Amino acid sequence: MKFKKQIFGFMDMLRFKKLVPNRRAALAAGSDRPLPKEYRTNQLAHRLHPGMMEVELTKVRHLVPGMTELTFQRLDESAFPFFRAGQYVSLQGQVGESYVSRPYSIVSSPRQALANQLVLAVADAGFFSGWLNKEAKPGQRFRMTEPSGEFHYETLRDKKQIVCIAGGAGITPFLSMAQSMAEGDEPYQMILFYGARDRAHLAYQEELDGLTEKGLRVVYVLSEEEAPGFEKGFVTAALLEKYVNPREATFFLCGPDAMYRFVGAQLAPYALPVKAVRRDATCCSDLALENPRRFRLTVHIRDESFTMDAAEHETLLTAMERAGVPSPNKCRAGGCGYCHSKWLSGEFRVAEGRDGRREADRKFGFIHPCVTYPLGDMEIEVPPAE
Amino acid sequence: MEKHSTKAYDVVVIGAGNGGLAAAIRVLQGGFSCLVLEKHNLPGGFATSFKRGRFEFEASLHELNDFGSPEEPGDIRTLFRDLGVEDKIDWIRIPEAYHLITTDKQYDCVMPFGVEAFIQKMEEYVPGSRKSMTEFFQLCNEVRDAQTYSSSVNGNTDAAYMKKNFPNFIKAGSYSVNQVLDALKMPARAKDILNAYWCYLGVDCDRMSFLHYGSMVIRYITRDAWMPKMRSHEISLALDTRIRELGGQIWYNSPAVKIHAKGPGTITGVELSDGTFIPTRHVIANCSPHLVFGKLLQDQAVSEKMVRATNARTFSGRGFSLFLGLNKSAQELGIKSHNYFIYDTADTAKQYDLMRRVDTNHVQATVCLNNAYPGCSPQGTCMMYFTTMFMSDDWGGVSETEYFQAKDRVAADMIRVFQRETGCQIQDAIEEIAVASPTTYARYCGHPQGVIYGYETAQWDSLMPRMMMMNEDAQLFPGLRFAGGWAMRSSGYSSAYVSGDLSGRQTVGDLKKEAR
Repeated sequence: MKFKKQIFGFMDMLRFKKLVPNRRAALAAGSDRPLPKEYRTNQLAHRLHPGMMEVELTKVRHLVPGMTELTFQRLDESAFPFFRAGQYVSLQGQVGESYVSRPYSIVSSPRQALANQLVLAVADAGFFSGWLNKEAKPGQRFRMTEPSGEFHYETLRDKKQIVCIAGGAGITPFLSMAQSMAEGDEPYQMILFYGARDRAHLAYQEELDGLTEKGLRVVYVLSEEEAPGFEKGFVTAALLEKYVNPREATFFLCGPDAMYRFVGAQLAPYALPVKAVRRDATCCSDLALENPRRFRLTVHIRDESFTMDAAEHETLLTAMERAGVPSPNKCRAGGCGYCHSKWLSGEFRVAEGRDGRREADRKFGFIHPCVTYPLGDMEIEVPPAE
Repeated sequence: MEKHSTKAYDVVVIGAGNGGLAAAIRVLQGGFSCLVLEKHNLPGGFATSFKRGRFEFEASLHELNDFGSPEEPGDIRTLFRDLGVEDKIDWIRIPEAYHLITTDKQYDCVMPFGVEAFIQKMEEYVPGSRKSMTEFFQLCNEVRDAQTYSSSVNGNTDAAYMKKNFPNFIKAGSYSVNQVLDALKMPARAKDILNAYWCYLGVDCDRMSFLHYGSMVIRYITRDAWMPKMRSHEISLALDTRIRELGGQIWYNSPAVKIHAKGPGTITGVELSDGTFIPTRHVIANCSPHLVFGKLLQDQAVSEKMVRATNARTFSGRGFSLFLGLNKSAQELGIKSHNYFIYDTADTAKQYDLMRRVDTNHVQATVCLNNAYPGCSPQGTCMMYFTTMFMSDDWGGVSETEYFQAKDRVAADMIRVFQRETGCQIQDAIEEIAVASPTTYARYCGHPQGVIYGYETAQWDSLMPRMMMMNEDAQLFPGLRFAGGWAMRSSGYSSAYVSGDLSGRQTVGDLKKEAR
């Protein structure tokens, strides 16, 4: 073929010759105003996802036996980021020689965050949570990850009617979700089944009752006490059907594993699709082992190396925290991928049902230390904590 | 971590995206030491995956262009072979070229790979198009050959040789796609169908250089497209693994905040956010010149010429993607194609204008991965991802409190348009959903305004003059080269790997010259 655009082919050739001089001239003719330092979209990204935040405890309030409410303000910026009700933060600090951290669902609403207030409620369980229940005092400073997690309403996926089931301390995300609905930021209709031992163990009853004026429906379910206006027993299918059609709702569950098993069995006969039942993640705990073996763990962070003890029943993350080696972590449930690290050598096992790694992570030897237990001496490479 | 100076590296690569990873391997293969710095905790930049429930989503790759089969490798498979990663990855072949739908003219065309098959199919849709289509592919072949020659001499082409061997390449070389197709007297409907790939380059066919488009189309059609089985994360981890094998290092969670230099050619090192200082004299930046000249380089090192050359350029599209995990199979839902292009209009210039605003943009490039790789999600489910771009900073006006609803609005529109145009009802099958907005891209990769395609390759800044000025542009700041979507080869996976390959090898050349 013979391509030509203009009558004379040489004119096409001439145009080609000018490509470079034209570009050279255009580059030189650019504006001399200073290049931007900031862009609106990037500033929004930073406001919504600030990474690690510096926070101060401003208020400590006893809620119910074994549960304390902690209110924080942010120090490194004038407000917390807006978030999706139902999300969690990881609170991180130092207790003695150890680094400690724990994810907690946010109790306060996204709007409160913009007023520089973020509230957590901590049940007295585990090392750090126990410490917080006993030792937390206003003025103490911590680090806190940005709000994260997928336990929140999805407008395009979920039914308009949501059924929230809380067990004990699992009430926390639902306070935020109810409040956010009341503030007009969420479009759902919410009914909450709140299971507790007795009235004395119902945290936030006053706040929840207040929210009923703004559209929330609450059903309190007490396992060990009978009282007028309160359901007795557990959250059974029969109880659910008294208030709602389970087939026309999306379920949000937050509570202990035992509750997930119980409610799961109650819902089984409905054969609901996977999408209809969302469960909040729970922290990965120690393995129940008799006489756990002890191993050596070598950790490389950039150009530094650390060697420490690691116990067979504790995760690699716990080993690093005990040794005072800061390492990135957020969900402690295997799912968020924030602790993604390179495995170099040594046998290990991953907590059952918690292997949240990508397929290629397994192929190329990457691990999530928050759900990985050593089975021998190990060597890993970990990114530095923020 | 305490502030300290690390050991010195011959080269520091800023950004472990596609370009940065390829560049690092080239530096290491050249026998020099290399450290890759990445702000995120994963390699790959956009080339990654993420999990939601029982789905592992591909973050960005639709199909890898110019890959070819093991027996007839394309340029990118050959590059992966040279980098030593081809065998570390399980590859699958993409079944068809594309499925074009336009709302205005009601196109609904499925185009195959292979030149003959493509021309034949086009003749079925547009009788009488065969001659111009055949000439189009002849012209494209010459474009490809000319580019192969140009690469073999590192851009230092001999004018007489070019004129003698690639006359059509030169004569067509200064024109836009539509100018050339008109000169070939291609029927309007064939032009519409052929131009479907334009959104992969993000410039309408009135302003996009024919050379750029032609070289992409010929590579798609003759060498077909491939995908890694484990999403693009598999490529990124294979490159990470290769860097380690070659003795290189990658530091994650390690954003570079400063490049120390007094002026061009005087880089002394790179500083991290925690104050750690890494001595080096060579930087390969897998990020935007806007970021490097506007923020990373010390002010004293930035000249007026650099500022003007950077300001002169135009940002390309800001990305928006929707990811759906569906609880029915593609078959049950009636989703037949792997790769849909759905446009409001077949007029690319008009479409580009509609894409300037969030609320008038209904373009989508949509993939159902199961139609290329059925095993990518559990039996009885399928995965889809929808991508569009905004051709202005319109998204930048979204506030913090509107943000989640603004994302849902665009996502809902994508679902509505797909359902309307294909008749496949997917909304009720959504089990997992994730949305990436320009804000998300800005967050993970730091690109200004959430741009995903680097600088627009339109008119004066099109691919050909960029390639011809590769060496000249690098002289702006000796010791600093660019790789990835913002570099000379522009955006897209294949282009980013190639720019990394080029900048990596050229940096090795710089180091060898210095040693002499």
